[in-house]
Amino acid sequence: MSPELIIALVSGAALFGVGIYGALSQTNLVMIMMGVELILAGAMVNMVAFWRYLHPDNPAGQMFVLIIMTVMAIEMAVGFGVAIARFRAKGSVEMEEATELKG
Amino acid sequence: MTAQMFFIGFFGLAGVWFGIVVFRTYSMVRSALALLFSQTALGAMFLSMEAEFLGVLQIMMMATEMSIMAIFMVMFMMDPGGLGTMDMTHQKRLSLITGFVSFVAAVLVAVFVDWGPVATSFPDAAQQTVDLGLELLNRSMLIFEMAGVTILTSMIAATAVAIQPVKRKQKQ
Repeated sequence: MSPELIIALVSGAALFGVGIYGALSQTNLVMIMMGVELILAGAMVNMVAFWRYLHPDNPAGQMFVLIIMTVMAIEMAVGFGVAIARFRAKGSVEMEEATELKG
Repeated sequence: MTAQMFFIGFFGLAGVWFGIVVFRTYSMVRSALALLFSQTALGAMFLSMEAEFLGVLQIMMMATEMSIMAIFMVMFMMDPGGLGTMDMTHQKRLSLITGFVSFVAAVLVAVFVDWGPVATSFPDAAQQTVDLGLELLNRSMLIFEMAGVTILTSMIAATAVAIQPVKRKQKQ
């Protein structure tokens, strides 16, 4: 197996782990979004590595990366929309204060 | 060790390190900048993997996205400069354990799964772009169009959520 592929996959795994930690531990909505961005970045690194080292002849691998970038952009747009609405209504985007969302 | 392996490892390490810095600093502006550097390091990693188009796209897109995020950080955070060393975390122990377990599980899958033979030939940068363009306009056209429409819809929805509601006077 290619060592470059393993290095890329381990980097992606580390980004995924750091992102999970950030998304779970932060109390601020914008910081939680940063954690989700890192999770998606980890997935993106894996996609590029799989495409480059296993199937470079199939451009669908690059297409998946574009889809992940789209998901990142959508997450940012919707997240900031929700953050503005929340800030306007409550004056804060601290998620610990959003107890009314609790099921 | 080849030069490619070194650069992939170096930029991968830089991306992970700046990702950790995002949650270690008290200054929210520094957090946004650390995320910008992390994503840029990943773009450089893609360039090291000879994925020129994706690398440049990643750097351009994330530079813009993270600059916007830094502005939002200053707008919304109670202490954007991080001067008060206010702790804005909760369930730290659970988060650390979950993050570490996720990392170990992903590494185990990466190392112990047989991914098959490594490709020996690789298209050059110009050919990659041609292949991707043909893919976008042929087999993946519907997916690409869907992605575009989804972005447009989310932009309209986010704007609709964010604008101040108009207070109408009730008729007596």
